[in-house]
This record gives sequence, C-alpha cells and structure tokens, in this order.
Amino acid sequence: MNKNTRILTVDDSASMRALLNHALTSQGFDVAQAEDGEVALEWLALNEVDVVITDINMPRLDGFGLIERLRQGNRHRDRPILVLTTESSEEKKTRARQAGATGWIVKPFDPEKLVAAVRRVAH
Amino acid sequence: MPFDQKQPGPPITRINILQGQARVSAGPRVEFSTVLGSCVATCLFDPEVEVGGMNHFLLAEPPAGAATGDFDEHYGVYLMELLINEMLAHGATKHRLRAHLYGGANLNSGFARIGTRNAEFAHHFLAKERITVVREDLGGIHARRVDFRPARGQVRCRTVENTLAPEPRPMPRPQKARGDVELF
Repeated sequence: MNKNTRILTVDDSASMRALLNHALTSQGFDVAQAEDGEVALEWLALNEVDVVITDINMPRLDGFGLIERLRQGNRHRDRPILVLTTESSEEKKTRARQAGATGWIVKPFDPEKLVAAVRRVAH
Repeated sequence: MPFDQKQPGPPITRINILQGQARVSAGPRVEFSTVLGSCVATCLFDPEVEVGGMNHFLLAEPPAGAATGDFDEHYGVYLMELLINEMLAHGATKHRLRAHLYGGANLNSGFARIGTRNAEFAHHFLAKERITVVREDLGGIHARRVDFRPARGQVRCRTVENTLAPEPRPMPRPQKARGDVELF
C-alpha cells in the first residue's frame, strides 16, 4: 500500500521539506513538495494525491486558507489533511479542526509517529 | 551597524536568552543577551520593519561513528523555525532577513567538535532558507557573550571566561513538542 500512497508536503521551510521528504520517502511513500498554500493549490489542481501534510505559517496562502479552499471544492472535500506546525495553542488547533483538518501534529515531528498517522488516515 | 554603548533615554531592558529559547522584539530599549560556549546563537534582523530576534541552541551530538543524519536536526530546524515564524509574526519578511551567527566554540576536548557541528548546522540551515549571513564569529576555544539590540540589528560579541558559559549539555526536546499526533 505504501508504494502507492502519494503525499503532498506544504511548508515554506526548505529544511523542513527536506526532513519530511527523507522521513516519508524512506518508508516508501511518493512525496511531492510545495512551498506555500498557493503552490499547493496549483499542484493539486493538476495532480492526484492521497494525503496532504501542511504547515500553518506560510506566506501568500497559509495552512488555514489552504484547508478552507480544498474543502470548498468537491475534489478534495474528503482528502486527509494533516497539519504539521510549531503552533501549540488550542485556539489555532480548534481553527484548523473547524477549517476541516483531519489531524494536528506538533513539531518537531517524530518520524515514526508521523508515518503511523499518515498510514491511519490514508484511504 | 556599530553598537552604541550609551543610548540616551530610559534604561535598556536586558533579556537573557537561554538554551532552547527564541525571542523576538521590536522594542527600541530592549537588548537580548546570551553567553555561549559550544552553543550557537542566531540573530535575525529585518532592517525595513526594524525587528530582530535571537535563538540559542545546542543540538545533540551523534553517537561516535554514527552517520551525520543522526544529529538532532529536527530539533534544530524547529528552533530556527520558531525564530523565523516569530519574526514573520512581527511583520518581518523572509527575503529581507539578515543573520548573524555566534558561538560554536569547542571549549573542552571531551566535547570535541560539538560546537563545530552546531555551527555547521546553522550555516546549512540558513543557506537552504536563502537567508544571508552578514556577520559571524564562530568556532575557536573561547566562550562568548553576545548582546543584540533587536530593533536596530546591532550586535556586540566579546570573548569571556569559559567558566561563564553554560555546561555543554544538549537539551532534550521539550516534552510538549515531541511530534504528538491528534486525529480529529
């Protein structure tokens, strides 16, 4: 199943994208990367994906905006979206849940926990 | 920018930045201070909005003979991201950020190269994020004291007695931030 699970990681930090890429590709996932919400939307308009992992604080379109936009359309209404963030406030977490996020992961991430979460939510 | 020893007006509020912390301020009377041995401090400054921030970290050394990947890069990236996010929250823009790096000394032969490894991490991180390093004072065998005025981007870095530097003990990751997963 892993071989076919495609993940889009959305994070403005190149270092964080590299860490995620390493953690996920080493477990056999196919990983694509976007540097903010706008780039993610453009990519998702043209490509298929099983799980989206997104940061919150990003320029142009942040993680909340990205989740809201994806939930508005039909195509990604049920797509699992995991938030991966340095934010630890309950308010931000609630906002992510209300926007339609599937889960909330606090950085620095633990590769094993992240992979387990991706496997749980991937359809 | 030269460091003004005496600024007219009310006294300066000095804030000590401890290992594992990241602080940002636009306060004209604020000064961040820290003492570094093997630890590294990153100072970021956005000249246009006159806001600055500092972090202070010591990443865990990999076990002897281990690959570079075992270095606790996750925690380092996290502390850098905390600082950058806080800068952005104060109105800074990433492409305008200018960085200073200090510390990374190898004070004690028993902890050889841990300072160098931390300095290398900071350099690699900033290069990857395309943040320009405008000044650095890294390595060597002496502790440093760094004073940073965040609203002006002014830094003073002096060598101090090694006994003043905190013990080179890499901090464990904070308990609350260990990648916990909550599915809604």
